[in-house]
Amino acid sequence: MAHRLIIENLSLQYSSSEPKALSSLSVDVPAGSCCAIIGPTGAGKSTLLHCLAGTMHRQHPESVASGRLQLGETRFEGLPDHILFPVAALVLQDPYVQISGVRDTVFEEILFTLENLGAAPQNPRKIIMPLLQRLGIDHLANRKPTSLSGGETQRVALAAILVAQPSILLLDEPTSALDSNAQDKLRAILRSLRGTTTVMMSDTQIDFALAIADQILLLDHGTIVFAGSPSALLSRAREYSSIIPVESWLATQSFLTSLQTSSGHQKLISKALGLQ
Amino acid sequence: MPVRAYLDLPSKLALVFLLWVCAFTLSWTFQVSLCLLLVIARFAIPAFRPLSPRSATAFSKFIVYSISVALLVVCLNALFIKTGGTIATVLGFSFYEDGLLFGLKTASRLILLSFSVLMFFISTPLPVLIGYLQEKGLPPSLVLVLLLTLHFLDQLPRRIHQIFLAQQARGAPVDAGVISRTKALLSILSPLVLASIVESIERGTALELRGFLSRPAADRIPAQIGKQDNLLGICFYFLSLAILLYSIYRWLIA
Amino acid sequence: MPKSIRQRIAEEMTGAALPFLAFCIALNLTAGQITAALKIPLYLDSIGTILVAVLVGPWSAVICGSTANLLAAAFGNPTMIFFIPVVVVIGAFSGFLAKKGWFRKWYLVVIGGILQGVLAACISAPISAYVFGGVMMAGTDFLVLYFRSVGNTLLNSVFYQGLASDPADKLVSFLIVFFLTKNLPQRLLSRLRGAANVG
Repeated sequence: MAHRLIIENLSLQYSSSEPKALSSLSVDVPAGSCCAIIGPTGAGKSTLLHCLAGTMHRQHPESVASGRLQLGETRFEGLPDHILFPVAALVLQDPYVQISGVRDTVFEEILFTLENLGAAPQNPRKIIMPLLQRLGIDHLANRKPTSLSGGETQRVALAAILVAQPSILLLDEPTSALDSNAQDKLRAILRSLRGTTTVMMSDTQIDFALAIADQILLLDHGTIVFAGSPSALLSRAREYSSIIPVESWLATQSFLTSLQTSSGHQKLISKALGLQ
Repeated sequence: MPVRAYLDLPSKLALVFLLWVCAFTLSWTFQVSLCLLLVIARFAIPAFRPLSPRSATAFSKFIVYSISVALLVVCLNALFIKTGGTIATVLGFSFYEDGLLFGLKTASRLILLSFSVLMFFISTPLPVLIGYLQEKGLPPSLVLVLLLTLHFLDQLPRRIHQIFLAQQARGAPVDAGVISRTKALLSILSPLVLASIVESIERGTALELRGFLSRPAADRIPAQIGKQDNLLGICFYFLSLAILLYSIYRWLIA
Repeated sequence: MPKSIRQRIAEEMTGAALPFLAFCIALNLTAGQITAALKIPLYLDSIGTILVAVLVGPWSAVICGSTANLLAAAFGNPTMIFFIPVVVVIGAFSGFLAKKGWFRKWYLVVIGGILQGVLAACISAPISAYVFGGVMMAGTDFLVLYFRSVGNTLLNSVFYQGLASDPADKLVSFLIVFFLTKNLPQRLLSRLRGAANVG
């Protein structure tokens, strides 16, 4: 079941002597919706996702955090001190490190997650195969997980997380290893999660984020410079051209042209950039 | 498929135990006979056949090693332990009885001990062994380490080769004197260790993000491994016990 | 209440330590290939164990060393299992030295490496003498032969041989580990338990 995700006034320093990596972030992501975090490299996108997954305290014990998090009914003052899987589950940017390397087939790799949870069902095929079908990788079930392409590995990594049915799915730059064909597939998968899973993803490519998200956060130097709907962002594109270069917006425009459904967005971009 | 080859893994473990007991209790003539039986078993019994050409090579190499080590141990000790009567004198070197006996005992024990271990490993697939250990209660973290080691062993030579080539391409003197070769060693190990730590941190996080080690081992489902008929194994353990008791009895009356 | 061994092992073996431990076991088993390719007359087969001892902890180092020897046996070198007591001591002792801060200064590393070599020689001498009869099928056998020919007992001869070769090998291993850990970025180091051992 999807959870509502509330971040209140969250600040983070990697150590007390370092500047703030995140400063006073406040976000409200309704249950079952999709929120995309965009912004340049080093803006704090991954940091925020790691905070929500509960890995920050483990990886950086000296880090100092303030503020509040609320995932569904559970509230945390500061950051959680343990990994929140399977309530909140994070898919890392590099899909290859997420393949455990200790299982012989893709099927067993997915089963590995269920074993970790102690929740392996009598007949795991009944749960895993439909999931693989949904992600379009059922033909890979008996392949060796370390022998797959980037896009395939990304989807196996996603399946290995989705099989635990997380309430909140966190994706760190899911498109970075994907070609456009694989991006299309990933977009369809994320769309199918709408309503059942709350999704928060980071991306450097704004086109993918705009096509999928209900809410966009534009992050720069650890602060939110914009939060709102994709169309609201598009109408103010010119304001943020220093953070996101004009070429990106143009790429977005041509991308949205290829998606006939988003013609409204396309017009907004053109208008914002003064192209019409 | 070599199902038969690992069907009796617990029995094989029991056999190794029995052979180790023999190696410490029985006389060297017995031990040599047991070694010869093991050689016959490798060819006659399917459960002891090497699983891969690599295992077959390991077997042949071990035979060569055993013969040479036996000859050396026996000759050298007969030469240096100068008690007991002289057995033979060759080119002015005298060989003594006590040394010969010590050499024979030592060599036969060493060969039987290592031979039993070798026979176990060349006929047992490692993943099956790891699965078995997991079922017997080896902690999941150790099981994971073992499996990851196999993964790294598969990748490491390729990575070392790549770094080696990269260093050569940058003109690192890998064929020069000892000092520069040691420098080359460091220039291979440094990036290797650095990259492995980066990867370990990522992999460790990824594993925890998938719930690994997040709950007690008791909750986990055991590895799927067939129930084995362990009658033979029990026989081996009984035999080991009998031999042990017998040798204690002999030791007491002596 | 003092912690049990199981608890201590469980404390060390989490997160990044597990894949790193696996890497170091594999490194123990492959280091010989690198030195052979570079024609360096050292085995360095405990370099992974020492790395783990410094960067993770003594218990993991003990596991690293013994697992490496078991796997070497599994890959066709069964005599390696008799030296498990030696690698256990190497792991525990270098982990102990690391905890005492001996991997922070180069001169302590030198002394530690030599001490480690002497200790390794002490443990491996009885094994070499009574299990192997003094014959390791290696170049060092000539040293044993020499010591015996001048009238030493078997045990003393293998011990002297060990004293002549082990400290050098361990010293080089210690220095390499020291060099490697000194050159690791602090950001990465801080993610491993043993960061304080080299800081």
